[in-house]
Amino acid sequence: MRTKSLSAAENPMIDPITLEVIWRRLISVVDEQAAALIHSSFTTVVREAGDLSAGVFDRAGNMVAQSVTGTPGHINTMANCVRNFIAPNYPIDSLDPGDTLITNDPWEASGHLFDLTIVSPVFYRGRGVAWFASTCHAVDIGGATMGGDARSLYEEGLAIPLMKLFRAGEPNQQLFDIIRANVRVPDQVIGDIYAQEVGNQVGARKLIEMLEEYDLPDIEAVSAQILDRTEAAVRAAIGRLPDGAYRNTIAIDGFDQPLTIACEIAVAGDSLSVDYAGSSPQVDRGINVVLNYTHAYTTYTLMAALAPGIPNNEGAFRPIEVRAPLGSILNCKRPAPVSARHLIGHFVSQPLLTALSEVVPEQVIANGSAGLWNTMMDGLDENGREFAYVFFSAGGMGAACDRDGLSATAFPSGIMGVPVESIETAAPLLMHRRELRADSGGAGRFRGGLGQIMELEIITGAPANHSCMYDRTGNPAQGLLGGQPGAAGDLRLSDGSRPHPKSHYVLQPGQRVLLELPGGGGFGESFMREPGRVLADVRQGYITVEAAERDYGVAIDAATMTIDEAATARLRRENDE
Amino acid sequence: MTAPTVLLAIDIGGTFTDLVALDFDSGRVAVEKLLTTYPDPSLAVLEGARSLLERAGLSPARIRYVVHGTTLITNTLIERKGARTALLATAGFRDAVEIGNEGRYDMYDLALRKPAPLAERRLRFDVPERTLADGRVWQPLDLACLACLRQVCAQLRAERVEAVAICFLHAYTNPAHELAAREIVEAELPGVAVSASHQVAPGMREYPRASTTIANAYVQPVTGRYLERVEEGLQSSGIAAPLNIMLSSGGTTTVAASRDFPIRLVESGPAGGALAGLHWGRLLGQTDVFAFDMGGTTAKAALTRAGELAISHQSEVAHVHRFKRGSGLPLMTPMIEMIEIGAGGGSIAHLNALGLPAIGPESAGSSPGPASYGAGGTQPTVTDADLLLGYLNPDYFAGGDIQLDRQAARASFAKLSAALDLPLERTAWGVHQLVNENMAAAARVHAAERGLEIRRYCMVATGGAGPVHACGVASGLGVRRIIIPPIAGVASAFGFLTAPIAFDFTRSYVSRLDELDLGELNRILAELEQDGRRIVEAAGVAAQDISARLNIDMRYVGQGYEVRVPFAMDELQQRHIAEMRRVFEAEYRAFYGQLADGVPIEAVNWRILISGPQPRVDAAEFGEARTASDSPVARRHVRFAPDQAPMETPVFRRERLSASWSAEGPCIIEEEASTTVVAPGWSVAVAASGCLLLTREDAQA
Repeated sequence: MRTKSLSAAENPMIDPITLEVIWRRLISVVDEQAAALIHSSFTTVVREAGDLSAGVFDRAGNMVAQSVTGTPGHINTMANCVRNFIAPNYPIDSLDPGDTLITNDPWEASGHLFDLTIVSPVFYRGRGVAWFASTCHAVDIGGATMGGDARSLYEEGLAIPLMKLFRAGEPNQQLFDIIRANVRVPDQVIGDIYAQEVGNQVGARKLIEMLEEYDLPDIEAVSAQILDRTEAAVRAAIGRLPDGAYRNTIAIDGFDQPLTIACEIAVAGDSLSVDYAGSSPQVDRGINVVLNYTHAYTTYTLMAALAPGIPNNEGAFRPIEVRAPLGSILNCKRPAPVSARHLIGHFVSQPLLTALSEVVPEQVIANGSAGLWNTMMDGLDENGREFAYVFFSAGGMGAACDRDGLSATAFPSGIMGVPVESIETAAPLLMHRRELRADSGGAGRFRGGLGQIMELEIITGAPANHSCMYDRTGNPAQGLLGGQPGAAGDLRLSDGSRPHPKSHYVLQPGQRVLLELPGGGGFGESFMREPGRVLADVRQGYITVEAAERDYGVAIDAATMTIDEAATARLRRENDE
Repeated sequence: MTAPTVLLAIDIGGTFTDLVALDFDSGRVAVEKLLTTYPDPSLAVLEGARSLLERAGLSPARIRYVVHGTTLITNTLIERKGARTALLATAGFRDAVEIGNEGRYDMYDLALRKPAPLAERRLRFDVPERTLADGRVWQPLDLACLACLRQVCAQLRAERVEAVAICFLHAYTNPAHELAAREIVEAELPGVAVSASHQVAPGMREYPRASTTIANAYVQPVTGRYLERVEEGLQSSGIAAPLNIMLSSGGTTTVAASRDFPIRLVESGPAGGALAGLHWGRLLGQTDVFAFDMGGTTAKAALTRAGELAISHQSEVAHVHRFKRGSGLPLMTPMIEMIEIGAGGGSIAHLNALGLPAIGPESAGSSPGPASYGAGGTQPTVTDADLLLGYLNPDYFAGGDIQLDRQAARASFAKLSAALDLPLERTAWGVHQLVNENMAAAARVHAAERGLEIRRYCMVATGGAGPVHACGVASGLGVRRIIIPPIAGVASAFGFLTAPIAFDFTRSYVSRLDELDLGELNRILAELEQDGRRIVEAAGVAAQDISARLNIDMRYVGQGYEVRVPFAMDELQQRHIAEMRRVFEAEYRAFYGQLADGVPIEAVNWRILISGPQPRVDAAEFGEARTASDSPVARRHVRFAPDQAPMETPVFRRERLSASWSAEGPCIIEEEASTTVVAPGWSVAVAASGCLLLTREDAQA
C-alpha cells in the first residue's frame, strides 16, 4: 500500500544534500521529542529501561523518522497504528490545532492495554502537515496485574478506544476522570500521559521551526524521497538473497502446554513474505500476540539481519509482508487475553534467524534466551506500606559464525536490567547472588552467551506475592549449524519446590528463590573450537573442566590449567569416528 | 626577590603539548607548543617549560604554581595498557561489571561487541560479607571471612596482581567492610595499589561504581610513576612551585590526591577547553555559554547552566565504538558534561546506504590528512570542502606551514559530486553544511535533554576548524553571538589557569525528605567537608579562602532521574527541610514545567564541593604591541549559499586589527591557528582582550 501525497508530486525533487540535511534535522527533532518525554516521565521502565518509542509521520501517517530510543515492539507497532488506524479514522484535515488522540487498543496498537499510544497532529500555516506519536508503557492500567493469568481481555484492565485526549488544547476531562478511576496509581499514569503530550508538542514546535528555516510547506516531499530510498535499499538487500522458501519451527514453553512457532520466509526477487501458518492456536491465557506485534518483531528481526545500516521507517516495511492465521497464537482474535504478549512475541525472532541461516549464515545468530525474565514482587514492607517492584533480566544470546554470544544481554527486546542496589533500595528484597551461570552457553565452535543466576528472598518477615514470567524452562535455545543448545532456565525455591514459571505464588519469609536464566545456543561444531579458546573459557570459569572434555573434546589438567594435548587429540579423533 | 606571580599551565594532548605562562604582574602571556613525546610524555613537558621560560625571560623562581593536565590516563584506558588488576566483590556479585546493564547500545547490530571489563573474571574474587541498602550489616566480615580474604591475597600475590579494586554492595552507605578489607590487602600486598569503591565513586548502582573503581586501580600505578617523573623533572629545572593536577570536573588538585584518584583526571584537556569558553564568555558579560571546539577528528562542546559548567556523574571512557553512547566503560566520577561527535577537519565525506552524503566518523586524521594536504589523502574531507568554498587560504593554512593544494581537493570531490549528480562546488557546500548540521543536531538534542534553550546562548569557538564553522553551526541553532578568543590554539591550557583548586565528594544517602535523619546526615556532610578541606588545604589554599558548596540530587519517589539542587552549606536543621522542598520544586518546575503534586520527594545523593578562590586572569594581555592596520590584506571569492555565485570577500589578518575595528559580513579573518569566517548577515568587532565578537544582525530582536 503506497501513499503518494499531492504535494510530493507538486514539489520539485529535493537534491540529495538538502534531503540529507533536512532528514538529519528530522531525526534530531524526534530525539528532542523523546528527551522531553523521558525527562518528564514517572515510570521507571520508560526512563531507565527505555520502554518507549517516539516518531514523526507524514500527513498520511507514514512513519518517517523514529528516535534512537525504544523497543521494536513499540516502534514498529506505532508505525502500523498511525498509518492503518489513526490517520484513516481521523484524517489530519478533519482535526483542529490542539487536538490530540489516544488509544491503547491492543489489536490496532502495540498488543496490550498497558501501552498508551498518543498522537498529535501538527498544524502549520493553517494546515495539518505531520503527526508526532509516542507509545509508552503505563505503570498500571487497572484490571489484574501484569501477567499471563487473565482469561480474556476484559480482565486485563481499562480499554481506551481511539478518541480525543485533547480537543483544541482542552483536556477531555471525562476521559481523564475515567482513567483516574480505573488505575491504581492515577497520579503517575496521568503524569505520564502529560509527559507524552509534552513530547509531542516539543516535536511539533521544533518541526515548525525547521519548516520555517528551510521554507518548506510540509514534509511530504522529504518523506516521499526518504521512504523511496529506504525501500530501494531494503529491496536491494532482499534481492541479494536467492529466491526460495526458507522454513523453521521452534517449540516454546507456552503457559501450560508447549507451543509451536512455525515460519516460512518466501523470497521472490526483491520482496519477501513471512507466513506463520502452522503455529499453535491462541490460548485462554494472556500470552496471545496480535498481528501488529508479530509484524513488529518480524520486520525488526529481518532488518537487523539483512539491512542493519538502513533506517527503520515506513519504506523499510513496504517490501515485507507478514501473515499469520487468524486465531493463531501470533494473530489472536478479540477478546483474547494479551497482557503478557511479549513472552511469546519476542520468540518470532528465533525461527526467522534460523530459517535465514540456510542462505546467509554469516548474517544471523543462533537462538538465545529471547524472552526477558520479568520478576514482580508485591506485598507490605516493614512499615506496613504497600510495595510493588518489577524488574527485567536477560539470559544469554546466541553465538554467531565468528564470535561467541553475548552473556546476560536482552535480545530481541531493547530493555535494560536494573542494578541490585537500586532494587534493594526500592523494595524489601535481598539478593544473595547475581552471577554468570557457568556451562549455560551452548557449546559450539563459537559458544552461546551465558545466562545468569539470581538468588533472592524477602526480608520483611512477612510473605509476599511473586509473579513470574519466565520462559525457556522447558525448551532451551537451539544451536545453529551443529552448535549445541544452551541450558534451559529453571525456577525453584530453597525447599526444592518449583512454582509455575508463568503464574504467581506466595513467597514465605526465609525462603529463597533461585532463578537460573537460560543460555544462548552455540554456532558450529563444538569439537571444532580452538582448544586455546576452550582453555581460556575454563580459566575464566565460563565453562567447567568437565564440560571442556565432554562438550569440546579438550582435556585440561585442572591443577596446572594446561591442555593435555595427547588426550585432546584422542578425544577429538574418537568424536570424528 | 619579588613574590612569585607567574602561573604555568601544561596540557598534554594526543598530538601536541601546549604550555601557557601568565604573569599577573604585567598581564603578559607566553605560549609554547611542541609535539607530545612518546612513550614518555614528561620529556616534552620539561623541554617545553625550559624553552618557554627562556623565551619569556622568566626565572623559574617567579612561578607561583603549575597546573598540569594530561591524556595519559585516557590513553592508558583506551589502549588497555594499565596494571594487572583484580576485583574483590561481595560474594555472588563479582560479575556485576560483566553483566552490565544487560542492554545493547545498537538495536540493529547483531554482531555487537561490549567493552570487556578491565579486571578479567579469573581475577575477580568473592568475599563473604554483606551490608544492606540502609547500611545495616547482614553478614559481618568476621574472622572466618578475614581468613578467606588472606587466602585471596595469597592468590593475588601468585598472580602478580599490581592493583586491587574493592567494591562491596552498599558500601556507599556503610564503608566499614571495605575499610577492613583495604587494611588487610595493604598489609598482605605491600606496594600494590588499592582502590575502594566508597572512596573512588561513592554512589548507588554497583555496575558503574565497580567499573569506576576498577578503572581507578587500573591506572593508579602508571599515573603514580608518571607524576613522580614530572615532579622530579620540574624540580630539576629549578621550578620548586607546587604542581597541581587538572581534574575532569574543572578543578585542580594535589599530586597526592591525583595518585589516589587518578580516574578523576580522565578527559581533563576538554575540561580546560570548556573552562576557557566560560572565561571568555564571562569576560564579555555572557553567562549562557556554549563552548565549541572543533579540531582535526572530533568536535567537542559544553553548555553552561545558570552560569556554571554542568557536571555529570555518568560518563563513559574507552568506547568500543568511539561515538556510540553505551559502548564504553561507565564512570561515576564528576566530569564536565561534554558533547563529542566525530566531525572535524579531517572527517571524510562518503555516500551512505541510501545514496545520501554522510560525514565521518572516519577521519583522514593528520596523516595522510585531507586530500589538499598533498600527503597521499584522496578522499574528500571537511577541510577540502572549506578550501573549495574559499574559506581557507591555501598559502596561509597553519600560518603557512601547510601548503594546501586546490587541485587535489577538487580531484577528491569528483567522485562524490558525480555520484550525487551535483556540481563540485555545490557538493562541497553540502559537505560543509552537513557537518554544521550534525554538530548543531548534537548540541540541540543535548540541550533538549537538559531542558536548556540553546538559542539564548553565546558560542565560544576554538580549535583549528571551530572559527571556520562557527557561523554555520550557530545559524542552525538560532545562536546569535559568537566569541572567537585569542590564542585559540592553546585554549585548554589557558583554561587550566582559570581553574580553582577544588575537590568534591559525594555520598548516596537515600531518604524521603519527611524522614531524614538529620543527625546522621550532618555527620556524613561534616565528614565529606573535612575530607575535601584536607585536600584543598594541602594544595596550599589558606583555610579562610576555602568555600564549601552543597548540591543535593532529589526526585519524586518513584522517579529514576534526579534533579540537582544547590543548597546553602550549613548545619542542617528541621526548618531546612521545607526549604529543600521549595528549592527542589522551583528547579523541577523550571525543568519540566509542572510539579507532581502530592508525590513525596526524596533526596538521593549529597555532593560537597570544596574549593579555593577562582584565579583572576582577566588582566591577561595577548600578543606584542604592533602597528594596527584595519584594511584588508586581500580579497577572494567565497561561496556562502548553495545557489548563489561566490561573493568577493575581504580578508583581514587578525594580529593587525586595531582595538576599535569592526566590519560587516561577509569577511574573513586569518590568523596562524585558525580562520574566522563571518557569513553575510553577521557583523564582527574586536572586543576586550583581543576577542572577536560576531553578532547576527537581528541579535537585538
